[in-house]
Amino acid sequence: MLANIKKSLVVLLLLINVFFVGQDWVASTNIADRGAYALDCWEAQMALVRDSLPIKRGVVGYISEQDVPGAEYGLWDIETEFFLTQYALAPLIVKKGIVAEWNVVVLSNKDLAIWAKTYTGQYKIIDVEGKVHVLHRLEAP
Amino acid sequence: MTISSFFIFIPSILLGILTIHLVWPERHPLTLLLKLSLGVGLGLGISSILYFLILQVAPGRISIMGIQIILATILLISTAIRERNQKWNGVYLPRLSGLQWGLACTALIAFVISTLIFANIIISRPQGEYDAWSIWNRAARFIYRDPENWQATLSPDIAALGHADYPLLVPLNVAWGWETLGGETLKVPMAQSALFTFAIILLMFSSLAVTRTIGQASLASVVLMASSGFILNGTNLTADIPLMFFIFASVVLMYLFSLNRNSTLLVLSGFMAGLAGWTKNEGLLFMAISPIAVIIVSPKKMSLPFLYYLAGMAIPLAIILYFKSMTPPNDLINSGNSLIEKVKDVSRYWVILKSLSTVILDAHVIVFTIYTVIMQSHPNHSSKQGIYTVATLLILQLLGYYAIYVITPNDLAWQLVTTQNRLIMHIIPPGLFLCFNIAADPETIFS
Repeated sequence: MLANIKKSLVVLLLLINVFFVGQDWVASTNIADRGAYALDCWEAQMALVRDSLPIKRGVVGYISEQDVPGAEYGLWDIETEFFLTQYALAPLIVKKGIVAEWNVVVLSNKDLAIWAKTYTGQYKIIDVEGKVHVLHRLEAP
Repeated sequence: MTISSFFIFIPSILLGILTIHLVWPERHPLTLLLKLSLGVGLGLGISSILYFLILQVAPGRISIMGIQIILATILLISTAIRERNQKWNGVYLPRLSGLQWGLACTALIAFVISTLIFANIIISRPQGEYDAWSIWNRAARFIYRDPENWQATLSPDIAALGHADYPLLVPLNVAWGWETLGGETLKVPMAQSALFTFAIILLMFSSLAVTRTIGQASLASVVLMASSGFILNGTNLTADIPLMFFIFASVVLMYLFSLNRNSTLLVLSGFMAGLAGWTKNEGLLFMAISPIAVIIVSPKKMSLPFLYYLAGMAIPLAIILYFKSMTPPNDLINSGNSLIEKVKDVSRYWVILKSLSTVILDAHVIVFTIYTVIMQSHPNHSSKQGIYTVATLLILQLLGYYAIYVITPNDLAWQLVTTQNRLIMHIIPPGLFLCFNIAADPETIFS
């Protein structure tokens, strides 16, 4: 009796797991894009930023909606864009805030205008593409 | 580019296989298969260490590929000279029964399907998951794009979630792969991840074929391939699958030591544990707990095995200590006084237990545990010792993860949600290896 149960269990274990492998195969045949396109687009934009920066090492600042009072944003989106920027600009170190001579700005024109009011005349804004800009400090802080 | 991304790893793999064969000259075909699977990880581990040393002395000026080819050639000649005088007469392929053929073919078909699943998933997300590009390939880019200034990847200015203190085995292999191919291509991290993923399956098959039977090995391999998230984890392009490999390899080698008392296996086990620590911080935990298992595996004369194990661990440990002297402190160390408060907070223990139990006690695990209990065989003394050793390692690793959750400075709920599945995944292969060493094999059941 026990011997038969054991035999059945081996067969059952094998069949269930073969079924799972098959199920994974079916599920894998129809996967939609999982963010690869968006990541490629971001990389392409940041390649333009890299070209417009005269430095190849060191720290660059990073300004996003987080730095604009009253701006609406999703925290996770902001974080993802920040880490994507770091990934794209390596070996430059990207640090949040206006912390360096050269800074990457990811802001819509409306938010950029609000943010720039605080720093009138201190920075030169270089438009790169879409909401991506580069900011060059004109005077020592 | 896809083919060449795999080809560039051949000298590393050869280096690993030949190193194992030189120090452990066992010639049975199944043992050779085991050496092949162990050699994949060992070779990639050695290559990353070599490249790390090059970065210290002459970054960007010495060809890592050239060094690997020279070393592999030396090892090949040494092996050829030694094997010329050896007798291979007694070495033959095992004759398989109908049942064994059936199970082995099923495993082979599952293996082919798994490679297709891997390809399908990785095509849909070639950059891998979030951690792949924000941590591992980010570090690889720092090293490849500016090797002379590679230490920038360890800068404390890198955001906390970029984890500048994480070990470099995975990024270093990607960086030297790009250096060899002369350009950044995602095919290199994909190839590395594929090698580790399928080496784990091969390691499962070959280790159980050596310790048990072909039928048991085939069954275990199919169960591993069907484990939810295993193949998917491989396509994430993070360091979890390489870490899984090194933990599993160290466990298998320690189990084999319990069976045949060959000290070389213990040295190799220690080296693999060291490479686990060189792969990911969770591997450091394994490095810390695994020497305790040596006491279980050799309770009466523990000092010599202990020394062998530590000797194996010495080189990776030295590299890790040197590396850690350059990195910003880990966020766990940064938690300061709040650490004691967290240890005293009983509610944290309950939250962690509840959360981890949802992962550990899922339907697959419960069903498989029942299977193991019903199917248990009667192992001999040395097998029993090996089983106790593996069980101890798994329990200690779990307790270690538990302790880390208790003291984590990050939000506990967030930390649990984002990490618990992959932490448990790290110990699934050794867990299956343990269960299939306890359970009776299909050959016995159907005889």
